[in-house]
Amino acid sequence: MASITIEAITKTFGTVPVLNDIDLSIADGEFVVLVGPSGCGKSTLLRMIAGLEDITAGEIRIDDRRINEVAPKDRDIAMVFQSYALYPHMTVADNMSYSLKLRKTAKERIAEAVGAAAGKLGLDPLLARRPKALSGGQRQRVAMGRAIVRHPKAFLFDEPLSNLDARLREQMRAEIKRLHKSIGATSVYVTHDQIEAMTLADRIVAMHGGIIQQVGNPLDLYDRPANLFVAGFIGSPAMNFVEGHRRAGAIETDDGSKIAIPDGVQLAEGQAVTVGIRPEHVRIVAGPEAGSYAARVDLVEPTGFGTIVHVRLLGQDLKIYTLERGIAAVGQPLHIALDGARLHVFDRETTNRIG
Amino acid sequence: MTLHTASGSPAGDRRTPMQKIAARLEPWLYSAPVLILIVAIMLVPLALGVSYAFRDIRLLNPFSGAFVGLKHFRDLAGDGAFRGALVNTLWWTFSSVILQFIFGLILALLLNRPFKGRALAQALCFLPWAVPSFLSGLDWAWMFNPVVGPIPHWLYALGILSEPSNILSDPETAMWGPIVANVWWGIPFFAITMLAALQAIPKDLYEAAEIDGAGPIERFRSITVPFLAPTMAISILLRTVWIANFADLIIVMTNGGPADRTQIVASYIFTQAFRRLDFGYASAIALVLLVLLLAYSMLIVVLRQTMLTRH
Repeated sequence: MASITIEAITKTFGTVPVLNDIDLSIADGEFVVLVGPSGCGKSTLLRMIAGLEDITAGEIRIDDRRINEVAPKDRDIAMVFQSYALYPHMTVADNMSYSLKLRKTAKERIAEAVGAAAGKLGLDPLLARRPKALSGGQRQRVAMGRAIVRHPKAFLFDEPLSNLDARLREQMRAEIKRLHKSIGATSVYVTHDQIEAMTLADRIVAMHGGIIQQVGNPLDLYDRPANLFVAGFIGSPAMNFVEGHRRAGAIETDDGSKIAIPDGVQLAEGQAVTVGIRPEHVRIVAGPEAGSYAARVDLVEPTGFGTIVHVRLLGQDLKIYTLERGIAAVGQPLHIALDGARLHVFDRETTNRIG
Repeated sequence: MTLHTASGSPAGDRRTPMQKIAARLEPWLYSAPVLILIVAIMLVPLALGVSYAFRDIRLLNPFSGAFVGLKHFRDLAGDGAFRGALVNTLWWTFSSVILQFIFGLILALLLNRPFKGRALAQALCFLPWAVPSFLSGLDWAWMFNPVVGPIPHWLYALGILSEPSNILSDPETAMWGPIVANVWWGIPFFAITMLAALQAIPKDLYEAAEIDGAGPIERFRSITVPFLAPTMAISILLRTVWIANFADLIIVMTNGGPADRTQIVASYIFTQAFRRLDFGYASAIALVLLVLLLAYSMLIVVLRQTMLTRH
């Protein structure tokens, strides 16, 4: 187990910049998730930690040892690939023991390590099979088994669940979390799925355009997104954004409605802002009350557990997430209140959070 | 009236016998054009060729053409030139195939890694394949000729030859001339097939192996070789049959000489048929070669089957 320190890392492919001045330190035993849309540089950063990608500038250290020039095999890390990258001509047992064999581990030790990993992952009945004869979920498990037999200093996961169907993904997600709890090894996990990030991470690193947008524990990112990108990326259904300006002590939206300025938010007169409100923080109220809005139901999306109601309000398509059923039918008039304490205000120019 | 037998003919079949025959014939009529083509183009010449092997057919003797039974085969059994040609064929085929394969694989491995100008290099490396075999044979014959070609002088300078002579005229070394030309000409075949197979290997396997601790040699041994094995086996076996039949370079460069030291079975057939004009004897040799290659091809089929069932 080890800590990983990433200092002023920059990566360019030819003249194309991919990562720009990344700083991040990962504590011993921590589970860190790099999340962001495709092309944000998260996989490249992971591959640089693994040693599969050159470092253009900056330094990566594992336990205070500089590893920029260290070969992947000498970094003592294990990686789980999106495609699993299992050796197709080897059995499950051979796949799992390959790295130990290369390290000239004693036969008994190998058998012991493979047996323990197989037991942990429920792979015992599959050890003699080849990857071709396994289902997607089983292959995923073998890929994880191959990583854990070595007891590496750190685990790297490159979108390991992307090739699984939704149900299996949920199941494996819980399994990875359980595994991390029992092994406690430092883990870096790359995903584009914010739910995976929220559920697995001790700390989330949200990335966009080769830059770290915010680092924090999952609920921090949900409750206090640092900028518009994080606000829009974290949370499902996605946050509503309403554009407006500060006028006469309130935020006036483009269609002329007014939103009260939340406590602790300092705005200059005329400042252009974007107000964010999560669909689950928009309330449907029984009748008109102070600060409520009248609207008409545009679309209803039942999700089973809750319902997403779309209304035309504040000059745009506003989503409401409610747990009450049968509350709205298309065309029905509604009264809507915004939860003032849950409003997020962003400067429209810098896209950064205010207050 | 209709008979109700166990044959399963539907009850109440009221078709006339003519209609029944027509129905029976219908599929054959549809496939007739292809069948006629196959018979006319493949089977008739084959049967004719095989029949020559049992007849006395010499172009210069207008009274030949009689059936002679197994006479040609008895002659063959005592024909020292034929036995020599068989040995030469083995020598020619296996050294050509092995060298083509080794150099083709090396070339494919080199072309598989990214470098500047790779597309151009690939195109250039595949160029020999586009050169007509007769032309490349002539080229190499000239290059081995000390009067016009540089190779004897290079070999002399390297101390391999004691004097800059033509290796094609020395019975001890003559076979190496056509083999070298054949290797040069056939490398692209292996390079293309191996490169295609190499490019089908997923890159993350190499990355996973690198992280697992495998060095370049270990990665080649445990990932590249298992992935290439089926392609290697099939291309080597197919190529073997092809080269055993391939006499162009030998005919052009040495014409079987000196002293029959480069005569392979295929070129011996050519010599018998088109220089001695003894088509009967040539057909008999061809029949023997056909049987040998058929046996070898069966080996390919069996090998491929076992390989497919194993995967």
